[in-house]
Amino acid sequence: MAANGEDVTTVLMIGNPNVGKSALFNRMTGANAVVSNYPGTTVDFTKGTLIEGNRTYVIIDVPGTYSLEPRDAAEEVAVRMLRHRPDATVMIVLDATRIERGLYLALEVMELGMPCILAVNMIDAAHEKQITVDTAELQRLLGVPVIPTTAISGEGVRSLAEMLRKARVADVMDISGRLKGDPPAAGGRACFGCGGCGGR
Amino acid sequence: MKKRLSDLAPDETGIIEAIDGPVHDLMCLGLRVGKTVKMVTKQPVKGPVVVLSGEVEIAMGIGTAQRVMVIVTPQEA
Amino acid sequence: MTLRQPEAGPVSAAADAGGANAMFLSSDARWEMVDALAARTVSPGSYEPSLADVVGELTVRPLTGIPVALAALYAFWSIFTSFAGTLMTDGFMVKIFDGYWLPWLQSVWPDPASWHYFIFVGNPLADNSLEAFGVLTSGFFVSIGVVLPAVLIFYLTMTILEDSGYLPRLAVLMDTFLHKIGLHGYAIVPAILGLGCNVPAVTATRILETKKQRFIMMTLLALFIPCGAQLGIMMAVIPESVGIVFLCLLIGFGLFGFILSRLIPGENPEILVDVPAYHWPVKEYVAQKLWNRTKAFLREAIPFVLFGILLVNLLYLGGVIPALADLLEPVFVVWFGVPKETAGPLIAAFLRKDLAIAQLSNIPMTPYQLVASVVLVTIYFPCVATFVVMLREGWRELLASIAVLLTVVFIYGGMIHGIGILLGVA
Ligand SMILES: Nc1nc2c(ncn2[C@@H]2O[C@H](COP(=O)(O)OP(=O)(O)OP(=O)(O)O)[C@@H](O)[C@H]2O)c(=O)[nH]1
Ligand SMILES: [Mg+2]
Repeated sequence: MAANGEDVTTVLMIGNPNVGKSALFNRMTGANAVVSNYPGTTVDFTKGTLIEGNRTYVIIDVPGTYSLEPRDAAEEVAVRMLRHRPDATVMIVLDATRIERGLYLALEVMELGMPCILAVNMIDAAHEKQITVDTAELQRLLGVPVIPTTAISGEGVRSLAEMLRKARVADVMDISGRLKGDPPAAGGRACFGCGGCGGR
Repeated sequence: MKKRLSDLAPDETGIIEAIDGPVHDLMCLGLRVGKTVKMVTKQPVKGPVVVLSGEVEIAMGIGTAQRVMVIVTPQEA
Repeated sequence: MTLRQPEAGPVSAAADAGGANAMFLSSDARWEMVDALAARTVSPGSYEPSLADVVGELTVRPLTGIPVALAALYAFWSIFTSFAGTLMTDGFMVKIFDGYWLPWLQSVWPDPASWHYFIFVGNPLADNSLEAFGVLTSGFFVSIGVVLPAVLIFYLTMTILEDSGYLPRLAVLMDTFLHKIGLHGYAIVPAILGLGCNVPAVTATRILETKKQRFIMMTLLALFIPCGAQLGIMMAVIPESVGIVFLCLLIGFGLFGFILSRLIPGENPEILVDVPAYHWPVKEYVAQKLWNRTKAFLREAIPFVLFGILLVNLLYLGGVIPALADLLEPVFVVWFGVPKETAGPLIAAFLRKDLAIAQLSNIPMTPYQLVASVVLVTIYFPCVATFVVMLREGWRELLASIAVLLTVVFIYGGMIHGIGILLGVA
């Protein structure tokens, strides 16, 4: 079924520089993308494949960017990839210790109307610094799956792969509504069944 | 006391009050009005400065730092 | 907010976020939402500086950072020279190649006077694998015996530099200097990558913001940054001249960077970069990177070295190189002050710089001539692999780069000769 090419989904990995996109990408696809501890390691895109259940995903690791207004040629590659693949799913990768600027880019991407899923990476580093991120609440507010991951140990990568098929289009106005209005109670609507809530 | 970010001494802390000129790049890196910044180091001869804001450490040219106005937090709080 | 909008696309920032049908938020509205989201989902940790933070500050403050940088450089240099130079090459590889491989090939290959002996085994009288200059003798000795151990060490150090988080801090320390030559501190990233191999370095210039910066960096890379393979062979065959060659390259880098930054129109924005926290390099990643780079070296470098020797030997046999040497003699001898035989290595240098240096070391020369010719070989043209990636980044830039390159080679080569004459060594 996967072989006839109908069930192939393209997944773009978008996120700030140095949040661990390439590390996650390697974990998910078994590829050998370069991982280094400085922003701007990846300056071109790399493709890899992930077979999960009966679906085939072509995952594309792209350069990190801070926003969709490119500052340099590497960021331009990322933005161009988004523009040229409007039917792709976007995996937005955030650094748990620097959530805010990751969220800014996440919102920008969500406004494009592409199906999204969020990976909150570097959970181990956040833990060390005693920063906690309520991913369940974030998932409820955003209305897309949010999965905590640690790329260097592989934690959460499995459920990230499983949840890829639950990626969905977020409505920014709805998010805004949820932020203003309803208190964190009725969790029915944004529950995707498994993984994302981490058992909470 | 109001100062330019570039005028903070190493280890001095302040709260960003305003940013002149283009703000987009600075904001994307995490430097926004209301954020607390600490000067980590200033390089000699008008070299770049390194500041810390929360978990984010940023190196920027002196010209950029001059565009950022901060209210100095009194030392020894 | 005024936002640059490169082209009309779905990414447009409509100003009125309040509007009923506004799909796109203004930047301010977006930040407001970010704050609201973060306030409800993130609880900040108690901030206490860790060891990594302390080290981080020490290495970025000028008073402590510069000594640390120099110490790191020195440590690297000593490890490099002692391991790659003394231990591997002289102690182990030379014994194998000169003691067994070369004599064996010389004894079993038929007919020392034939063309095939010349091409594959080389000089029948040679008593070491460097001078023989056959495909199977010098080809394997240079690539496996000398360059491989050197690049291994080199790759290891580079990987640690990349993975620890030191590069952005080095960028801060180097910013003032680099800003004078039309770049900013972060240009240190392509520069350091270039010391490993110029190919990824050319692509890495994409992290610079403007066309001007990228052009200057690419041109300087092609001109003045020797790659790991070249450094390795220099350490092995001309250790006494490496220091002065390096100095020439460094001065050239600064001098022509300065000139280019004045001549080339365009902007040179200031550095603005994230400084990540230090962390111990992850063993897995280090191993993986090392393995990938070594694999790439084995797959790409060795065939090129072998092919390079084949080509050079064929051109010798066909009389092309001697003819070229005669043709270029006036330029070489009068202008650059190097022997006309340098023509051969210059051809090899287009394929592999390490090969060219190996070849140069076989030409009888004065110390001055050696330094001058090694510098020439380094700067005169990028190797073919670098050439190809530069082409991919834009042919107009490549052509402009080459024009600059040829001019610089001519001027700088002449300058070095002039200085040599003044010092009485040329
Ligand atoms: N502590 C911790 N470190 C991580 C994790 N994932 C990645 N890293 C480290 O973060 C650094 C950056 O990882 P990369 O995968 O190169 O980041 P990237 O997002 O691809 O960066 P760019 O290519 O520059 O955009 C590396 O030093 C990794 O070792 C994680 O889950 N926890
Ligand atoms: Mg990457």
